[in-house]
Amino acid sequence: MPQITRAATSVPIGPERPPLLRDDLLALVHRATFGYTAEEHSRAEAMGFETWRDEQLDPASIDDSQLDAQLAAIPYLGMSVAELSAAFTGQNGADGEIRRILQAARLLRAATSRRQLLERMVEFWTDHFNVYGDGPISFLKVVDDREVVRRHAFGDFRELLSASAKSGAMLIYLDNATSVAAAPNDNYSRELMELHTLGTDAGYTEQDVQEVARCLTGWTIHPPGHPNVGEFVFNPSTHDNGAKVVLGQSIPAGGGQQDGETVLDLLAFHPSTARRLAEKLCVFFLCYEPPTATVDRVAAVFTATSGDIAETVRAVLSRRSFEESQVWQQLKLRRPMHMAIGAIRSAGGTLASTPQGLADLVAATKAMGHAPFDWPAPNGYPDALGAWGANLLPRWSFATALLDGALAGATIPNASLISIFTGVAPSRRASALSRHLTGGRMTLGDVAEVQSFIDSQAAFNGDVAREAVALALSLPSTQWI
Amino acid sequence: MKKDHSCEEYEHLSRRGFLGASAAAGAASLLFPRTVFAQGTRRGLQRPCLVGIFLRGAMDGLSVVVPHGDANLYSLRPSLAVPAPGAANGALDLDGYFGLNPNASGLLTPFQSGGLAFVHACGSPDPTRSHFDAMRSMELGQPDQPATTVTSGWLARHLQAVSPAGNGSLRAVALDQLLPRVLAAAPATLPIRDPADFAFPGDPTSAAARRTAIANAYAGTIPPLAPAAAASLDSIDLLETANFEGYVPANGAVYPASPFGTVMRNTAAMIKADIGLEVVHHDYGGWDHHDDQGPLDGKLAEMLTDLSAALEAFHLDMQGMEDRYVLYAKSEFGRRAAENGSGGTDHGSGGLMMVMGRGVQGGQVHGPWPTLAPTALDEGDLRVETDYRDVLAEILTAGVGGSDLGFVFEGHVPTPIGVVL
Repeated sequence: MPQITRAATSVPIGPERPPLLRDDLLALVHRATFGYTAEEHSRAEAMGFETWRDEQLDPASIDDSQLDAQLAAIPYLGMSVAELSAAFTGQNGADGEIRRILQAARLLRAATSRRQLLERMVEFWTDHFNVYGDGPISFLKVVDDREVVRRHAFGDFRELLSASAKSGAMLIYLDNATSVAAAPNDNYSRELMELHTLGTDAGYTEQDVQEVARCLTGWTIHPPGHPNVGEFVFNPSTHDNGAKVVLGQSIPAGGGQQDGETVLDLLAFHPSTARRLAEKLCVFFLCYEPPTATVDRVAAVFTATSGDIAETVRAVLSRRSFEESQVWQQLKLRRPMHMAIGAIRSAGGTLASTPQGLADLVAATKAMGHAPFDWPAPNGYPDALGAWGANLLPRWSFATALLDGALAGATIPNASLISIFTGVAPSRRASALSRHLTGGRMTLGDVAEVQSFIDSQAAFNGDVAREAVALALSLPSTQWI
Repeated sequence: MKKDHSCEEYEHLSRRGFLGASAAAGAASLLFPRTVFAQGTRRGLQRPCLVGIFLRGAMDGLSVVVPHGDANLYSLRPSLAVPAPGAANGALDLDGYFGLNPNASGLLTPFQSGGLAFVHACGSPDPTRSHFDAMRSMELGQPDQPATTVTSGWLARHLQAVSPAGNGSLRAVALDQLLPRVLAAAPATLPIRDPADFAFPGDPTSAAARRTAIANAYAGTIPPLAPAAAASLDSIDLLETANFEGYVPANGAVYPASPFGTVMRNTAAMIKADIGLEVVHHDYGGWDHHDDQGPLDGKLAEMLTDLSAALEAFHLDMQGMEDRYVLYAKSEFGRRAAENGSGGTDHGSGGLMMVMGRGVQGGQVHGPWPTLAPTALDEGDLRVETDYRDVLAEILTAGVGGSDLGFVFEGHVPTPIGVVL
C-alpha cells in the first residue's frame, strides 16, 4: 500500500493569494484567448504586449487557413436562410440539427482559431445580443452569427446595432417582426434600450419604450416563400407614421424607416451606452469590479471614436488598464465553456473537425450549463461569480472525462502528456504541469496538492499522468481567467 | 457600480450563520420569528422543505386562474380570454367567479381537496416592467427603487437566519445549472441539475486521493468556490442515500416525462430521503408570451398542461406527507390586461401565485380582487393588491416554522393575509 506523503512546502496552504508578480503579458494571453498555450505565450513574448495584442485586434492579418479549410467543409455555415431551408427540406428536427452544427462550429473555432481575441469578442457579442429558439430561429441564428456577430465583432457599434436590429433571428425572437402600427409590440424596443444599449439606470421611461416600439413598427422580414426569406424588409404599410418623441427628441411624422434609424442613432451614441458597454467589456476582460477610472477612460475612447469596437477593446487590453485594475491580482472565474475549451488548448488536445465528431463536446458543455446558443433569455449567459461559482462538480467531471478519453472527438493524445512530463524530475512534475497549463500561475498550494497526489500513487504511468492533468485542471487556481 | 457578488457581504452573512449554528441555547430562539402574527409554531415537528418554483418570463395569470365573472376580461381580450364555464374550452369553475384554464385541469383536484391555494393580483409594488429588474428585486427581496446594496437572495438570508434542520451539509439545492440569485450567498447550497447523477468522477481506485487533493485545494480559495466545493463533496455522499433510480411515487402518482416532471419527482424523492434538505428551487422559464400566446391550444396551453400535471403528481405523491413541504410558484410579474396585436400579451403587473403544502388554506383564491375595470387597472395592468412578500412571510413562519423576517425582508412589515396558517 503506497504511503500518501505530502510534499513539503515552505508556504502554508491558506487562503489563496494570486501571484504578486506583475506579468502583463501573461495576463493578456489568459484574457485574450480561450485558453493558455505555451506556444501562444512564446509567440506573444517574442512580439511584445502591444504588437501581439494589436495583431489579435486585426483578425484579417492572422492566417487561419487550417481552420478555414475545416469550416469550408461545413457548407451550412455560409448559407442564407433560403439555402438552409432548401438543404433541409422535409427533414424532421432540422432545426435541432442546424443548431448542433452551429454549436460544434463555435467550439471548434474557440479551441483552434488563431484569431483568439475575435472568438472572445464573438462570445461577448453573442451574449450581449442573445437570441434563442428552435424552429425558424435556429436557421436564422446561422445568418445572425455570421452577418451580425462575426462580421461586426471588431467593427463599428452603430453598424453592429443596425445589423442586430435587422437580423431575422432578433426580429422573430423579440417579436418586432410582428409589431404593427395598430398594436405595437414592445418586447424588442424594451430590450434594445435595457440590454443592448442604455441600461435601465439611464433614465428612459416606459413612454420611451412605447415610442421606440412605434418607431420600429414595419421592421420585419420576408416570409417563407419569398426568395429572400428571413432577410430584413421595411413594410411601410404596417409602420406607424405619426410623430413620436424618444428620449426628449422629436421625430416628425412621415419618417418611415428613418424613424427606426434615428432611434438607433440616438441609442448607439448615447453616453449611457458608451458607459455601459465600457463597463461590460472591462468586466469581461479585466475583473468583476473594474475601477471607475478605467471604465471612464474606455467609455471616452468609445465615444471619441464614435463606437469603434477595436479601439475600445484596445483601451481595455492596455497596460494602463491592467495597472489601474491590478489585473494580475484579480480573480475572474472562467465560465464553463471557457474552462472546457481552455482545458483542451492548454493540455494539448486534438479535436475532430466535423459536427458529428464534436457532438460529445457540445453535449459536455451542455452538461456544464454553458452550451453555445442555449441561453433562453435576451440578456445572455451571466458573467458573475455568484452565478457560476458553486457549479463545480461538472468542471471536475469534464476534466476527468477529457483526460480519460471519454469524449469522442476531444482527446489529449499521449504525445501531449509526454511533452509535459519528459525530462522532468519526479518531485517537479506538478510545477511542470503548472508551467505548461498556465504559464506558472497555479498557486503553490494547488501545485503541492497535485504533487501529493502524484506521489501517493504507486507508479507514474500514463493513467496517473492523465489523472494528474485532470486534477490540475479541476483545482481552484486553474478556474480563473 | 453594482456589485454582483460581494465578498464582504458574504462574510457578514457567514458570521450570522455561524452564530445561528453554534449558539446551541440561542439557536432555538432563532427558529421563532419576532413578528406578531406568527402563531402555531409547531415545536418538535420536522421542518418542512420549502419548494420554490420561479415561473420566469411572467406567466399570464389571467389565463390560468381566469376571472370569468369579470365581464371586463372579455372586452379586453376578445380573442385571447378563456371562455366562461359551460362554453366550449370553457374554464373549470373554482368558486363561481374564477375558473381554471382547462389545460391546468391537473390543479383541480389539489385545489378542491384544500391542498392548493391561489393568490391573485399578487406581485411587487415596483413599477418596473423589465423582466431582469423585476426578477432581481424579487429574488433579493428588496424593492427595485431606490437601488439596493443588498446582494444576497431572500432565501439565502432565511437559511442564514435559522440553524440547519439536519446535519447542514446540503441545506438547499437549485435543480438547475446555475445558482439563482434568490440563493446567492446561501450556506450549504448547490446548483445540481440532476441529483440522480451527482457522483465523483474517475477511477474508483484513485478517487480518495483525488478527492483529498480537491478538498484541500478548495479549502484555500475564496467563496463561493470554497464552500461550494465542500458542499459538493459532502452532497455526493448524501445524495447517494436517496434512491433516485428506484424511486416509486406513492399513491400511484405518475409524473410527466418532461424536465419539469422530473424536477418534481426528484424533489419528492429528496424530501422523502430525509437528508436535511430545507430548500429546493427550480427555474421554469419560457412564460414570456408576447405573441401567439395560445392559452387554449398553443404555447401557454402546452406549458400549463406540463406544469399542472407535474404539480398534481407531486401533490398525490406527497399525500399524507403535506407536513413535509411548502411549495410556491410565482412569476416576476403578470401580463397586461388587454391583448396585443400579435395574439399575445405584454408585460404587466399583478400576477398569480400558487401555494401548496403545510398550513396552506387551499380551495380558495386569496387576495383582494381589484377587477379589470378601466379605473381599477394600473396603467393597463392588473393592480397588485397583495405583496408577494406577505405570502412568503406566511410561508416562512406558519409553513416552514420560523424565520427572521426583519432580516429576510428588511424594510417590509408583512400584512397577514391568511394564505398559510
